[in-house]
Amino acid sequence: MNNPAFSKVLIANRGEIACRVIRTLDAMGIASAAVHHPAEAAARHVRMAGEAVAIHGDTPVAAYLDGAQIIAAAKATGAEAIHPGYGFLSENAGFARAVIEAGLTFIGPDHATIALMGDKISARTFAAAIGVPVAPSVLPTEDLAAFTARAGKIGFPLLIKAAAGGGGKGMIIVRHADELQAAATRAASEALRYFRDGRIYAETYVDAPRHIEVQVLGDGEGGVIHLHERECSVQRRFQKIIEEAPAPDLPPSLREEICAAALRIAMAARYRNAGTVEFILGADGRFFFLEMNTRLQVEHPVTEMITGIDLVRAQIEIAAGAALPAALLAPRISGHAIECRICAEDPARDFLPESGRIGRLAFPTAPWLRFEHGLTEGQAITADFDPMLAKLVSHGPDRETAINCMIEALKQLTLLGVTTNIDYLIRVLDHPAFRAGDLHTGFVSAHGAALALPPTGRQARDHAAILAALGCREFAELVFAMPEPYASMGFWRN
Amino acid sequence: MPFTLLLDGEPCEIEILARQPRLLLAVNGRTYLVEPKAGDGVVRIDGETVAFARAEIGETQFLRIAGRTHVAQQARQGGAGGGGGSGVNAVKAPMPGLVIRVHKQAGEAVVRGEAVITIESMKLQMALNAPRDGVIATLLAEEGGSFDKDAVLALLVSLEGE
Repeated sequence: MNNPAFSKVLIANRGEIACRVIRTLDAMGIASAAVHHPAEAAARHVRMAGEAVAIHGDTPVAAYLDGAQIIAAAKATGAEAIHPGYGFLSENAGFARAVIEAGLTFIGPDHATIALMGDKISARTFAAAIGVPVAPSVLPTEDLAAFTARAGKIGFPLLIKAAAGGGGKGMIIVRHADELQAAATRAASEALRYFRDGRIYAETYVDAPRHIEVQVLGDGEGGVIHLHERECSVQRRFQKIIEEAPAPDLPPSLREEICAAALRIAMAARYRNAGTVEFILGADGRFFFLEMNTRLQVEHPVTEMITGIDLVRAQIEIAAGAALPAALLAPRISGHAIECRICAEDPARDFLPESGRIGRLAFPTAPWLRFEHGLTEGQAITADFDPMLAKLVSHGPDRETAINCMIEALKQLTLLGVTTNIDYLIRVLDHPAFRAGDLHTGFVSAHGAALALPPTGRQARDHAAILAALGCREFAELVFAMPEPYASMGFWRN
Repeated sequence: MPFTLLLDGEPCEIEILARQPRLLLAVNGRTYLVEPKAGDGVVRIDGETVAFARAEIGETQFLRIAGRTHVAQQARQGGAGGGGGSGVNAVKAPMPGLVIRVHKQAGEAVVRGEAVITIESMKLQMALNAPRDGVIATLLAEEGGSFDKDAVLALLVSLEGE
């Protein structure tokens, strides 16, 4: 496009993704407006944006969820469109509609599409109706006899869940037909006890599945392409920590089948915007539709690295009414890309989030690396927001090179002042099973012992102790107390 | 007297054996020749160049050496016995999060194990229980408020007449 799609875009988000969107707006010659809670007035995304509007809320998160304030901010700054990023209001159909009703452009899908895909049952029914595989299931019921009869027909292993459940309570895996009756009875009674709702449902249980997702782009007029798949199987607490593209060792026919299924969904929905169709893939090659995310995904950079396509630019151009650019119609894959999510958390304590302050930040730069972040030195890391601090992305001609580049980059990445998972990520990438591409969503727990922090060698420990001691004022004073010419005091007083 | 610090949770004793003509340190009895001013972000230990980065947050030092992060704190003098057992009087946050519900108000009696506050972190809710029988003397948490790891959310005093 010769003319900028919009004169100004407001980003209804914060952190790394707000910075990421602003970078593309800058490249497109579009002015940017940020929003921020007063606690984040000095944040990187605020400083990067052309202008910024403070939004308020009982908590910082509540401010970023307040659609009315954000739309008012867009109006006040003269922005023509709103980019929602991911999380917060990005998949809120009511917000998407309100943006349109305010006379602005929502850089995302139609609100009806968001609503359709936002409801698990309606999304699943939609996918099944157009022949996309969904895990066979028995709908919620209290009638145990009917339940066991129907569940038995699905086959085993089978997962029984409480209809009203969550957090794993009332979930039972049934591996043989003769266990079904007892398991269903127990699940129903647990469901009643925990959730005061005895209804249970069942679906095919996929042992150690891989999480495979397909990036799609649609123009809303029926024009739809896919930008290949990503593998996001390495997860903790049901959230991804390492993603890559393409998925390692996926048989070409299976890859085609999965991408075709994703395209079918996007096409049937006359999808507009960038979107991601998620699947689980069993060891037996069966795959099932999981859900569709109607927004930019956290892990979108790995797709950008292997296709050379700027997905944010594509989102903006499509929102401005452009058809899919011809250049995008047959995207080719070049090499392999890996993303690591850098989180403020302690892998040794079950990945519980940590708080602190960014005391020092230094990251490697190279043409094959991307460090996506919204951090500034001195910034407090609190429980106000998600523990994800940044993303490091590497690209190489092949998977092994991408892994080695990532390990090297993680070793050079210095993010001090809060406990992070950086060292843990290095151990995952260097694990023989990861290097072999032997991935499944239970990877982190299956290899728990091997991924635990190995003891430091004695000499490395002693070196660390010496540096730590020299960093203590009291000790440094003892060392440098003598009035020697070379013992000037300043250096150690950080 | 050796200087004691906790490195990744384990005590380390460091002693200055000599400052002149060169700095000689002992770490848990093992000696090292140290050139502390080999350069910016670099020291030399037994002739080997060791690059590092350091950040100090409160009383905690974060060190990154050879692609590995270490956490160090200066060990407190006096050790156990001080502090008047305040730890057991405090309802402390095991991780940063948000206060979802306050079950007990200041002045209310609690028994050991009774839920005082429900917090949420990483979308998981967790009850923080009274560490012993007592009365809530000070309530520092309010519903909807956020807190950092190790924050004291409530303080207990003993029941009267005990």
